[in-house]
Amino acid sequence: MKLHVHLSPNWVLDTDMREYRPADEVDFCIVGTGAGGGVLAQRLASFGFSVVALEAGPWHDSETDMVSDEAGSGPLFWDELRITGGTDPLDFGANNSGRGVGGSTVHYAAFCPRLHPSDFRVRSLDGVAVDWPISYDDLEPYYERMEREYPVSGPAHFPWGRPHGYPYAPIQAGTAGQMLLKGCDALGIQAVAGGPVAIPAGRVGQRPHCIMRGFCLLGCKVGAKSSTLVSHIPDAIADGAEIRTGALAHEIPVDAAGRVTGVRYYRTRSDGRRIEEVQRARAVIVAGYAVETPRLLLESASARFPDGLANSSGTVGRFLMAQAGPVVWGRFPGPIRQYKAPPACATTEEFYETDPANDFVRGYALQTVSPLPIAMAHLISGEDGGFGEDLVRAMREYNHYAAIGVLGEILPAETNTVTLHPTEKDRFGLPAPYARFSLGDNDRRMMAAGVDRATAVLQAAGATEVHAVDRYAHLVGTARMGITPDDSVVDRWCRSWDVPNLLVCDGSVLPTQGSANPALTISALAARTADWLRRAVPAGALAHRPAGPAAVEV
Amino acid sequence: MTGDRYPEADALAQRGHWDDATRRVILDRVYNVPDFRHFDDHARATLEALCARVIPQDHRPPARRVPIAPWIDERCDSTDIGGTRFDDMPDERMAWGLGLRGLDETALILRSASFVELDATGQDAVLLAVRAGQPAGRIWREMPAGRWWIHIALQAICGIYYSHPTAWDEIGFGGPAYPRGYTALNFGAPEPWEAEEVSG
Ligand SMILES: Cc1cc2nc3c(=O)[nH]c(=O)nc-3n(C[C@H](O)[C@H](O)[C@H](O)COP(=O)(O)OP(=O)(O)OC[C@H]3O[C@@H](n4cnc5c(N)ncnc54)[C@H](O)[C@@H]3O)c2cc1C
Ligand code: SF4
Repeated sequence: MKLHVHLSPNWVLDTDMREYRPADEVDFCIVGTGAGGGVLAQRLASFGFSVVALEAGPWHDSETDMVSDEAGSGPLFWDELRITGGTDPLDFGANNSGRGVGGSTVHYAAFCPRLHPSDFRVRSLDGVAVDWPISYDDLEPYYERMEREYPVSGPAHFPWGRPHGYPYAPIQAGTAGQMLLKGCDALGIQAVAGGPVAIPAGRVGQRPHCIMRGFCLLGCKVGAKSSTLVSHIPDAIADGAEIRTGALAHEIPVDAAGRVTGVRYYRTRSDGRRIEEVQRARAVIVAGYAVETPRLLLESASARFPDGLANSSGTVGRFLMAQAGPVVWGRFPGPIRQYKAPPACATTEEFYETDPANDFVRGYALQTVSPLPIAMAHLISGEDGGFGEDLVRAMREYNHYAAIGVLGEILPAETNTVTLHPTEKDRFGLPAPYARFSLGDNDRRMMAAGVDRATAVLQAAGATEVHAVDRYAHLVGTARMGITPDDSVVDRWCRSWDVPNLLVCDGSVLPTQGSANPALTISALAARTADWLRRAVPAGALAHRPAGPAAVEV
Repeated sequence: MTGDRYPEADALAQRGHWDDATRRVILDRVYNVPDFRHFDDHARATLEALCARVIPQDHRPPARRVPIAPWIDERCDSTDIGGTRFDDMPDERMAWGLGLRGLDETALILRSASFVELDATGQDAVLLAVRAGQPAGRIWREMPAGRWWIHIALQAICGIYYSHPTAWDEIGFGGPAYPRGYTALNFGAPEPWEAEEVSG
């Protein structure tokens, strides 16, 4: 199939993409092409496997489909019906996940910090949540690779977690970022500017450098910001993978032996007609984001797996986490014009780790966020429902605001869930996903401390007035990896404990989330899983269920 | 209302510097305002009155006011049931219909008149009650008023108003900056093509 997609003004993905027939049994069928799926498709194709990646959304051509306009960017976001509840219901929409080749990375802010070594051992260190089945050391080489492949810009010396440096020089921070630095400096808090962010300051391959237009959360028309759409998908196609767009997976069928046989999906053809097909595959990898992934597993319930696929532990859809993301903004006497430069441009991780002086465990990072006008109006009106002259007057100060996001670790709770809604259906007639989310006491105390800290930083930088609104971002955790089949969905290689040829490889597998934005970790896990599959498939490992904690290597 | 902060601002005049796709989307928003189709005359008047209290525009001549209500009407006319829905809320279209009737109910209880018949002070009293979360009226016992106010009413009205170049001029946002980008990054400085702020 002929592709003609602009990835940047002067770079067109103008190529013949290999196409498989649904009846062809491919080595891997991947569901989703975001932070996890995009990297998997590239890796597995480069190892010589036959790969079809199903993507519910379209290609977003940077010249014709991406616009430099907030309200006009709706098509980038996942817009199917999602029901939300609990005591602290998550608002989805633009703030939560993407639809289309590249997934949420097309409109993420591109902050790309690593987790800290402590994040993998919170049960051992802090007595909360669970330890990961892998350690920081297991992931470190993949972090290094992803930082080169995205690539990630940042300081030569990043002092937190396991200290390291970045392969690309820091990008320039705008005035809002400089306010974060100024405030931190006044308080004696170490902070860095210009990264870690997946926006190269110089040219990378065919991708031009950033033009500082501040629209990262609405897709980068320039092609500067990294997304798997520009960093990994073109290579995946060159290596023979097929990216099948407009293909919404809704069931993973199993055979009598309890193995998956492919993926059933609805495909909307160019004439608007909807057809149903099954792509046959020797193995299936689900990478549809932490809402759609558990949804697909639950939708795939069968006589053999009545509670949903890969769900013998009952943990599919449980332990939904969002990162706490309160936004704190200060009004400065002088102009800021925070819409200039990438929103992700300065951060401190000084409060990331557990501090015995706090009344909570784990911590938070502070990061620039820089809302554009509509996002700012939603923050202001969301704070206390103000309207009329109050609202308009507050918005007239737009150019005087600098905003800081608190990015904090919310602990996993079994009662925070994604289930299938018993009555509501989406436009395909499929049960809508139902997310229920409630904060715990530790979460509330952490968020309050983060808001206080961000307030202090803004005041120290000279803000005369500070406001805050709670927000949440980055959903993960609903198909977690673990040490035993009793309390997790997948093993340390992201393979289902129950179904030998089924994997889950996206943000859903994170057992805890730390206070680092998740995309880099998700891609690093995907690269690690792909390396394992390269060894495991020829060794016949996908023929048998994982034998449990003892059997770790192939 | 204090004086204009950015008297020289005219984002739309920069349209020649925008890329085609962006220009199409924004000019369509400015020049192709949809006709009312969904709400009846009374609901339409209520919706227009609500928008005018959330974003007062009396200081502008009518032709310069940013249209808000027609876009909400259009949204409610579509059959698309996507997006996020709170589990204690009906879908957006139904929420708008109920909410506009709810404003009337509250207005009748508080001031013995329908919402559109009230003066600005009376309308604000109703909206303050809705914002506070426990307004009088049967509808608000079925649909949480605070949720409706923030997530349906303000979400839509702010989203529509601040997508318009006239609103950008008011707040000093220069509009689309692709492909030329920004080069003035320090001290909150404007680009040469952006308006300077005057104090006031
Ligand atoms: C506004 C915003 C800002 C963010 N900022 C940052 C940031 O600065 N740094 C960071 O690290 N992270 C950030 N994130 C989060 C990050 O983008 C996500 O955590 C990450 O992309 C998740 O990866 P994933 O592979 O789990 O899913 P995604 O990247 O969301 O990919 C999932 C893909 O699967 C497709 N899909 C879903 N269901 C189906 C189905 N049934 N059939 C076929 N296809 C399907 C979707 O269309 C989508 O393309 C941000 C997210 C948002 C929304
Ligand atoms: S600020 Fe830079 S990276 Fe972000 S969207 Fe604009 S050009 Fe792309």
